[in-house]
Amino acid sequence: MKVVVDEEHKGQIPATINKLSFLSRTLNNRTALLYLLPSIVLFSVFVFYPMFKTVYLSFFLTDLQGRPAEFVGLENFQYLIQSESFHKSIKATLLFVLYTVPISIVTALFLAIIANEKLKGIGVFRTLFSSTMGMSVAASSVIWLFLFHPSIGAINRLLSIFNIQAIEWLVDPSWALISISITTIWMNTGFTFLILLGGLQNIDENLYESASIDGASFWYKMRRITIPMLSPTLFFIITITLINAFQTFGQVDILTKGGPAESTNLIVYSIYREAFINYQFGTASAQAIVLFFFILIVTILQFKFGEKRVFYQ
Amino acid sequence: MKKVGYSIIILWFVLIMSACSEQTSKNELTKTNESSEDQRVGTKDGDKTKVVFWHSMGGKLQETLDSIVNKYNQSQNEYEIVAEYQGSYEEALTKLRSVGGTDDAPAIMQTFEVGTKYMIDSGFFEPIQTFIDKEDYEMDLLEENIINYYKVDGKFHSMPFNSSTPVLIYNKDAFTEVGLDENKAPRTYSEIKEAAKKLTSVNGNVTDRFGFSMLTYGWFFEQLLATQGGLYVDQNNGRSGDAENVLFNGEEGLRIFNLLNGMNQAGTFGNFGSNWDDIRAAFQSGKVAMYMDSSSGVRNAIENSPFEVGVGFIPHPDNMEPQGVVIGGASLWLSKGIDESIQDGAWNFMKYLQTPEIQAIWHVETGYFAITPAAYEEQLVKDEHSKYPQLKVTVDQLQSTKSQPATQGALISVFPESRQQVVTALENLYQGMAPQEALNQAARGTERAMEIANRTKNKE
Repeated sequence: MKVVVDEEHKGQIPATINKLSFLSRTLNNRTALLYLLPSIVLFSVFVFYPMFKTVYLSFFLTDLQGRPAEFVGLENFQYLIQSESFHKSIKATLLFVLYTVPISIVTALFLAIIANEKLKGIGVFRTLFSSTMGMSVAASSVIWLFLFHPSIGAINRLLSIFNIQAIEWLVDPSWALISISITTIWMNTGFTFLILLGGLQNIDENLYESASIDGASFWYKMRRITIPMLSPTLFFIITITLINAFQTFGQVDILTKGGPAESTNLIVYSIYREAFINYQFGTASAQAIVLFFFILIVTILQFKFGEKRVFYQ
Repeated sequence: MKKVGYSIIILWFVLIMSACSEQTSKNELTKTNESSEDQRVGTKDGDKTKVVFWHSMGGKLQETLDSIVNKYNQSQNEYEIVAEYQGSYEEALTKLRSVGGTDDAPAIMQTFEVGTKYMIDSGFFEPIQTFIDKEDYEMDLLEENIINYYKVDGKFHSMPFNSSTPVLIYNKDAFTEVGLDENKAPRTYSEIKEAAKKLTSVNGNVTDRFGFSMLTYGWFFEQLLATQGGLYVDQNNGRSGDAENVLFNGEEGLRIFNLLNGMNQAGTFGNFGSNWDDIRAAFQSGKVAMYMDSSSGVRNAIENSPFEVGVGFIPHPDNMEPQGVVIGGASLWLSKGIDESIQDGAWNFMKYLQTPEIQAIWHVETGYFAITPAAYEEQLVKDEHSKYPQLKVTVDQLQSTKSQPATQGALISVFPESRQQVVTALENLYQGMAPQEALNQAARGTERAMEIANRTKNKE
């Protein structure tokens, strides 16, 4: 009986071994795929599909309901290149990044360093400094909206005590972007502070101790120990703040709606306005793609030049 | 290896975040709609048919509207109106765009006058003419100027509801203080300029009070244009066909820009931005002595100002017969393709809103017009008009309007976008851009939007 079976399946044996070995050879990959499946599904739905759809839409003009109605090739991009308002938007975005990123990080770093000292009641300060993290963009924008109010705002009241002409914070195009930047820096501080403080506390105490024994000054320790040891954290926070700055939306929507004279029409707000107010998904998608490349280039540059200075333990 | 891992993670962050940027706003839109999931267009619930009504009446206006809706719901047993506030007209329209034609769309939608053309073109709504014809409903009882705006191609598409016009509001106490006649509102451009000059008071290098201000909002520009008989776009303001060219950058538009530019440079014009509350706060706190507001803001201005408030007609250029104003405000739209009983309920409610009794309440509580002139005969209105004679001014201004394409108002589907362009032009003007150049820029932007709309129309 046994022999018969063997005889019957003789020809199939090598094939089975092959099949088995293929399955077993890819076992690891398949397991990996299984583990990745949830994120692949999520990314496909929320990242890849919208991305491809954006590229697709950027070649169309959309009708009043926002449905793609006419294929126009690269017309949307040509329009953007010529559009004065898009140039303004890019300029405003770059200026905004320049105003907010360095100041946010330097402020937060300063606060983190002073809050890293071991003093009585330091917890109170740490909580205070990081408190803006717990506030939503909408809530903080509304607070600033009142502070900036042209006729009854607190800041202008204060200025009038010193007999300084009231500043039209959100109404004057030369001030509006600065006002938005101030708001943003204030909002960024909490999160940036918290991450930097975490980074500072991770630095090995022994390094400072031995440096102190060698007679190193505060600034020397700062330059040679704190900054290098903090560099991965700093790098992370710079990248995140930079990307966030490029994508600022909430405070613009609440404080200025992109006005006055389009001076605060940051690129994401401009995308929103084109897409969801004017229902020009074509031009909006084209802008989104431009933004994507902007962020990509900045990030690549950062990795190329910035990361060299990062010291990983 | 660790370094590479780090980089990959961060790069992923970049990809995700940039891809998400477009998503966030979309999510925002859908979020607000979820709350009304169980209500939808309206459902048959027990014996009462629910009819969902989206509106943009915030603050005090909402209270009044809610009380009217309650009154209606209690007055009969067949229908229940569910009124939902959906943010400003612009925001509500944006929401509608994402649900229009689906089950999530409301049965009644309130949309501002410049959305009229869009709403007609969208095809989501049943022209109310259908219902008017069905039961020979009398629309002639409505205010003539309101009919002129909302009758398009001889047909009513929507039911007028809240109508307003712009007025000049001024501080009577300040007028007396500088020796101006507090009972005579300035009317011509040169009177406005002169009064603004007198009313402006400067202390050191701080301007305590500006003479004149206007909200940076396209609507006021449209009105100042119409009162000169100037058209906004060609094709008879878009009423005899789809408009293709912009006309607002002609001489009439330029006169407006020159007036504002002149006062701005003389320092008598205060710029308080594009937020209604800001300019109203500026007036009520005495920072500006004259400004233009909607007639629906009159009542509020009188009650909240610590001084006497005067109301006048909007300004017009010297040596010119003013043509009057374009009706502003909003109308109600009835959804297509929904259950007939819900449509009947919506129609029934619309008719209820028309009654002189309800219009009288609406007029005196809000300052919007009574769209049925018979409401002015109600005792309630008479009493109120003798108490607040200023409210009467707004009615007079509307009734003295001459009907012609300019005052009928423009019909273009991309009006909201065009208003943005005009707002930008005004802001550029206040920053020193030459009036004609600022106007031309807005005209170009509007023309492009109109061109795209015409190109993509009926091309699905």
